[in-house]
Amino acid sequence: MLEVDNLAKRYGDVVALRDLSVRVEEGECLVLLGRNGAGKTTALRCMAGVLLPTAGTVRVDGIDAAEDPTAVRARVGLMPEVPGLYERMSARAYLDHFGAIYDLEPSIRRRRIEELLETFELTDAGDRWLGTFSKGMRQKVALIRATLHRPRLILADEPTSALDPDSARRAWIYLKDLQKSGCALVICTHSMDEAEQLAGDIGIMSGGRALAVGNMVELRRHSGLKPHQEVRELPTLQDIYLAIVDNEGGLHRRELAETRTA
Amino acid sequence: MSWPKLERRKAALVASRDLRDAVSELRLIVAMVGLTLAIPIASASGVRALAAFGGGTAVVNRLSLVGAFFVVFIPASFSLVLALESFVGERERTTLEVLLSTPLREAEIYAGKVAAVLAVSLTLCYGGLIVYCLIAFPGLGYFPLGILLALALSTICQVAAMVAGAVIISLNARTMRAANVMASFIILPMSIVLQVEAALILLGRADFLWAFALAMAVVAIVLLRMGFSGFSREALLARDVGLRNPLRRARRAVRASFETRPGIFRLIWMRRTPMLLAAAGLPFGALAGYLAGASNAVPSAVMRPVLASLIRSTGEGGPINEVATVFSHNVLAFLLVAVLAITTAGLSGFLLTFAPGFLLGFAAALSSWTLALTGIVPNGIVEIPAAIIAGGLAIQLGAAAIHMDARGGWTDRVLAAFADYVRALRWLVPALAVSAVLEVFIG
Repeated sequence: MLEVDNLAKRYGDVVALRDLSVRVEEGECLVLLGRNGAGKTTALRCMAGVLLPTAGTVRVDGIDAAEDPTAVRARVGLMPEVPGLYERMSARAYLDHFGAIYDLEPSIRRRRIEELLETFELTDAGDRWLGTFSKGMRQKVALIRATLHRPRLILADEPTSALDPDSARRAWIYLKDLQKSGCALVICTHSMDEAEQLAGDIGIMSGGRALAVGNMVELRRHSGLKPHQEVRELPTLQDIYLAIVDNEGGLHRRELAETRTA
Repeated sequence: MSWPKLERRKAALVASRDLRDAVSELRLIVAMVGLTLAIPIASASGVRALAAFGGGTAVVNRLSLVGAFFVVFIPASFSLVLALESFVGERERTTLEVLLSTPLREAEIYAGKVAAVLAVSLTLCYGGLIVYCLIAFPGLGYFPLGILLALALSTICQVAAMVAGAVIISLNARTMRAANVMASFIILPMSIVLQVEAALILLGRADFLWAFALAMAVVAIVLLRMGFSGFSREALLARDVGLRNPLRRARRAVRASFETRPGIFRLIWMRRTPMLLAAAGLPFGALAGYLAGASNAVPSAVMRPVLASLIRSTGEGGPINEVATVFSHNVLAFLLVAVLAITTAGLSGFLLTFAPGFLLGFAAALSSWTLALTGIVPNGIVEIPAAIIAGGLAIQLGAAAIHMDARGGWTDRVLAAFADYVRALRWLVPALAVSAVLEVFIG
């Protein structure tokens, strides 16, 4: 479904992404973890066909994002970190507008909009202007918008960061249902809970590079962490993440020191 | 010149969303309705009052036309505000990324946004004009339909040019504040355009206004084309908020543009198409000048002082002084042509050969070709090729200025074309000196 090979992206002199390679098949979910500025958002934008790679390739459903970005964007649902809603539109009108852009039949989009508003408990607020919505409600509308056209690939940047625990759980269930129906997911998050809930594979990014990509077992092996001796408990994702990122940080510091000495 | 593919239904979706946004703001609606109704009613009432209280017919008639111009112009200025806001406003409200992540093509987004602004502005302009005409003209015994139609057409073209220019600014500005500052690139030229239009209206010549509308249509098409070509998702989502060390970067860019530029002969070969255009300017100008002189389309009473002043401008006080005067005039003309090429899309380069050709043809019509040609021989043997080279390079510079590319690089292209011009001056300026010597001592 999604094939990313040696993806690199520069903004002028700044290297935002380098040598990223990942695969996500139908019904799979890849979670990207990383510090702020690690390149996660840029990676999502390249995967969505919004930004063109400086080097490397992105293929969605076999379509090269550099050759036919319009076709790629039609197959993808991107949920950016900031919901970016039109404040002077009602939720229904807003979703209808985007449904029309994605060529959904009017009857189908009306039905789906009502279903999804109900799923996210927004039916009663559906005719209110989006400018009056709370942060969490906006995030729900953004999630509905990104998935309304049943995309083959969903790219979500911190999809539940503004949601209360109950709504977040509801959103995870919704995303898992989409995943079961064959949709591929790539999610950027800082929430280890969310990562553990959703992920098949996890990619840990730093400085525009993927330090490690794999499932929990593979990452545990990569991190070199042993089970906690006292209770024989497996290391959590939080432990693994910190170990991998800290190792990389240590390596980077050592490389820097060696360069200075030389 | 090919235009990008677009699906009209998709562009209409973008336009309808923007229109809905524009008309959902109560304060904006009040201002719009106020302008569409209050100003036309006040202007028309003024005209009627003047007619009722004994204003002369000629004065009232002229004032009624100026009133129509005034009524159309003020709502047109609204288009600038709306167009400036179109992209940079969405960027500031963080809605742009969502729009850019949809399968809409660049052309559909751009066309939709331009159409929405045009719809609002033209509704206001024509609404105001209709209200004004309904109040001002009945019973006046004067209804200049031709001029009003020409005014209506030139308004569409003017608003389209203004909107297209403002959308280009909106695409390139990072903040609304920067967009407002950059709007002076539109306001200043438009203020000159409006003065010209006002003068044409006062002249009361509909044919001049049609020509004016045609010129504005060309400007609008060029600007729209620039906007279509320069639309870039990458640039809109870029994270830079302005250039750091702009002077140092500019110095580096200028230095880089001078390096690896071709020599003069290779340059002439590379730029053969614009140079052929510039070369064509001379015979076309001569033909136009001859026809204008022979048919008296431009009265000789107008042209004789121009020709006389050109002869006088060679200066008095000895041959050295004459050489210096001819040389400095020509160098000044070459420098002005380069500067103006950027703002006239290279037209100044064509005029560098067309204008002397026109004068030559006009002089031939008043006397004979033999007599007229003696005025440009032998100095023309050096001066004409120099003018063709300079004109061609200026046309290239103008073409670089109006060529937008989604991958960026506008500054580099313009600087490279400018560097070519400056490097060519190393050959052209001595040629002009030789030509001035030939003109004074042998001509």
